Amino acid sequence: MAALPVQAAVRGDFVVLLVLVDTEDTMDQVAEKVARHVIDRRLPPQGGRPVVRVNGQDLPPGTTVAQAGIGPMQFIEVRYE
Amino acid sequence: MPKLQRQQYYDLTRDMNWHFRYVDEAEVFPEAMSKSLGVPAEEWWKWDEPYKLTFREYTYNQVDKDTGIYSIKSVTNRANLYEKLDSGWRSAIKAHYGAIPVPEYLASIGEARMARFGRAAAWRNMATFGALDETRHGQAQAWFPYSLIDKDPQMDWALKTLHTNEWGAIAARHLFDDMFTANDAVSTAIQLTFTFETGFTNLQFLGMAADALHVGDMEFGALISSIQTDEARHAQQGEPTLRVLVANGKKAEAQKMVDIMFWRSWRIFSLLTGLSMDYYTPLEYRSMSFKEFMEEWIIKQFMDQFKDLGMNTPWYWESHFLPELDWYHHGLHLGVWFWRPTVWWNPDAGVSPAERDWLEEKYPGWNDTFGRWWDVITENVRKGEANKTLPETFPVVCNLCQIPIITPCGHAIGKLERPIPFMLEYNGRQYNFCSEICRWIFKEQPERYHGHLSIVDRLLAGQIQPPTVEGALAYMGLTPEIMGQDADNYQWAFAERKAAE
Repeated sequence: MAALPVQAAVRGDFVVLLVLVDTEDTMDQVAEKVARHVIDRRLPPQGGRPVVRVNGQDLPPGTTVAQAGIGPMQFIEVRYE
Repeated sequence: MPKLQRQQYYDLTRDMNWHFRYVDEAEVFPEAMSKSLGVPAEEWWKWDEPYKLTFREYTYNQVDKDTGIYSIKSVTNRANLYEKLDSGWRSAIKAHYGAIPVPEYLASIGEARMARFGRAAAWRNMATFGALDETRHGQAQAWFPYSLIDKDPQMDWALKTLHTNEWGAIAARHLFDDMFTANDAVSTAIQLTFTFETGFTNLQFLGMAADALHVGDMEFGALISSIQTDEARHAQQGEPTLRVLVANGKKAEAQKMVDIMFWRSWRIFSLLTGLSMDYYTPLEYRSMSFKEFMEEWIIKQFMDQFKDLGMNTPWYWESHFLPELDWYHHGLHLGVWFWRPTVWWNPDAGVSPAERDWLEEKYPGWNDTFGRWWDVITENVRKGEANKTLPETFPVVCNLCQIPIITPCGHAIGKLERPIPFMLEYNGRQYNFCSEICRWIFKEQPERYHGHLSIVDRLLAGQIQPPTVEGALAYMGLTPEIMGQDADNYQWAFAERKAAE
């Protein structure tokens, strides 16, 4: 387990955020850590489930940060569908 | 009393150029300081400007100007004018005072460098006046807010800002060091006096002066109008320098200097002037929108002058710059308001129903784009949950302009294809940029920029402890009485449309 800074945005928001995740976080947990800065703050509560997109690919919700090979300050986008 | 008439000595003394016999020209004018680009000395001697001042005339003029502004200051102080000003307008002038006076003082270094390393005596003469001008501007714009500190402690940041690591201060230092504090004479003439002063300072100084007079802020209006009279004169160093370069086959070099600094100026003025004009100035006193000012002063007047000199609009004009007029500063405003504890003024949300109507009129579609974010914020304020309108993390900032990256904003409103920041790997380090243009500027001169650490880089490097919002506020030098708050104590969120509407 190790803390890892990434840059992230929720689709529909306006800014790229610095978010600290853990290498053992699943994509669902990553989405939650990003969304807490955005949902009900600048975007209304979203329906559907969160999807994390990295390097143009949607990652399965149970995949961990380490498994996905996400590196420091890589950009991740969260969207809901 | 002078024995000679002005016309009998002026040209002779102003154009005192000569060939060097005991030293090499390159020793007198090192390329690093002058950047002559191989243009011969005699070609530089054709440099000319229209003001043709003598030192005697200069000092008489400047005494009159200072007498005028300090007289007005004396009167307005007695009338307690500041207390009567709108809170949003007070924020506009505090943002100005924090960002401008010390850089003006630093600009005297750039002017002094041109006064020594400029390649024509006439240019060095003009730059000497420029150095004195900028000293005056630094002093006046530090003194005016200094006398208001007892009424508003945030005014202390007029002198303090540039000495802190506040994120806007880092952005301003990065820009102004690039533009004049650490620049050669020719580039300073093209980038500071031509691009920045001839083009952009009109926006801040004439545009804001017009708004100041409407608002009733005689003091600020008189101050910056007086400064602009100096700027209009010493900005004239740019055009003759550009003419010499173009006449000697150096148009491409000059064009690149302009392309770089036009974009960097646009970035900082969006942040400073864009917010002030479209959100902080009271609605009833707004003379034009920021976009209208840009269209009048930059797109029409400045670029007409530029093209008359045989130059082209910057390569990113149609593809990147013009589209940003509709969204970039609106996104910055949202960010500055949300991260308001990180600035030295009180951001005015400026989104009451009447203000939103004005924004919709000036920027059709504003309610359906930017309004959506403000709807959520407004609802949280109304529910008494203002804590949800405050930050718990940081935005990532651009490694060139040092301003937060808001590419998702451009994407969300349909102006950018992707929300992803622009990135670059250089010497094993990842750099993040807000735009293709900031990345292009970096790639043009990586050796100039690569060592700089943005405030986010400093956080990740462990320089900010604890690495929290509170730790960052302390690192930026922001104390509770200075940290920005909503300028109107959220009254805008509870304002309702008039019954007739």
